[in-house]
Amino acid sequence: MAAVRADDLDQLVPLFERYHGPLFNYLTRLTNDREISEDLTQTVFERILKYRSSYQATQPFKAWVYQMARNVHADHWQRQQKLRTADVEEVERTGGLRTAAFSHMQASGSHDDLHEALNLLPVPQREILVLNRFQGFGYEEIGKLLGCTAEAARVKAHRALQALRKIYFA
Amino acid sequence: MKPELSACHELEALLPAYVERSLPAAEAERVAAHLLNCPNCQLQVTQLRALSDDLDTALPEVPRTALRANFMAMLEQQKALLIPEAASVAAPAQPEAKEAKIVSMWPTAVASNWLRIAASIVLVAAGVLLGRNLHWGRQGGDALAVDSKPAQVELAQSLHGATASNRIQLVTNSSKESEPGDPTVQVLLNTLNFDANPNVRLAACEALYRLREDPRVQEGLVHSLAIQTDPNVQITLIDMVVSMHVRRAVPQLEKLSKRPDALPVVRAQAEAGIGKLI
Repeated sequence: MAAVRADDLDQLVPLFERYHGPLFNYLTRLTNDREISEDLTQTVFERILKYRSSYQATQPFKAWVYQMARNVHADHWQRQQKLRTADVEEVERTGGLRTAAFSHMQASGSHDDLHEALNLLPVPQREILVLNRFQGFGYEEIGKLLGCTAEAARVKAHRALQALRKIYFA
Repeated sequence: MKPELSACHELEALLPAYVERSLPAAEAERVAAHLLNCPNCQLQVTQLRALSDDLDTALPEVPRTALRANFMAMLEQQKALLIPEAASVAAPAQPEAKEAKIVSMWPTAVASNWLRIAASIVLVAAGVLLGRNLHWGRQGGDALAVDSKPAQVELAQSLHGATASNRIQLVTNSSKESEPGDPTVQVLLNTLNFDANPNVRLAACEALYRLREDPRVQEGLVHSLAIQTDPNVQITLIDMVVSMHVRRAVPQLEKLSKRPDALPVVRAQAEAGIGKLI
């Protein structure tokens, strides 16, 4: 990343190869929408380029890029909330006029039981489990990302796991 | 009974750590001792282990290859921006009037940075498309003028004079057997932009959606976003550019979302579309 910072942009390619899959996976688990996640993943790499000068060689790239992904997701979420406050009924009525024709465009996506259970968890709990179980984050790293201690991250992860267990085996 | 339950309650928080074997030895022993006579907590442990296994074996979601292509396009564009000479060489390589239209959106796009990035992706994509299709682009133009495909000219002529419902019929049938690159696209785009009846324009939208492989369709739809005033047509167009992932439509959607004469529902739809495209 230090090379990318020094405007050698080609050096971003190996980083893309290494991280775009996990980032996409992370964002898909959070948004439960593959198409949106592809767009958000792209946005993450756009921001990496845009803010490359703010990267500090002392911090791990992984932590930096996940922080960015979290922000991208938060922005997306806020945008969704804002849209939801618009006149929902009217949007649905008129928006539905022709949307039927495009319904096949929606991502069908496979939803097995585990993912369904995960989607029923509140986002913060889901995020911790995804980071811990799917992204290979240790509690130390999660703590840094979420701004809490490793111990607090561990407790949160365990609570989330218990919550998921209750949904999964309900 | 009561102390038993409260013990379970207290241990519940420890069970995940017990399952992942991260408890200190003393606590692990305490949990193990409790488990011996507590079927409830035993069940919990079994479930936690099963859940852990399922989590470990869950397959990751894999992105489409389009994600890599988009990334590479963005990277190339950023690299071009770094080298001023490269950028100025790239600019004159876009001779067609069609492309000039996109360039002209720049001043408004410059207003915000992500728009700039979106526009740069569009430029690269347009360049690639143009390069690939230059040959045919000329042919298409000629074909219209020389009228090498009488059927399309027939369509254009019969669209004049016909009643609205007949025009819908004609438009709907027109795209059934055409291939990308044939002049039907141009006729349909004209219908979309200039037919007096919104329902005919909607039919043209749907016919064009079937021909979406043709690069002129995306171009024409983006252009048409600026022209249409009927809310149904506006919303249909927004849906189409979103579902076709036409990122270059973002500046037009921006304008539409701020147009005072557009219905609130149209503006909201445009804003939602922007959200999906960026």
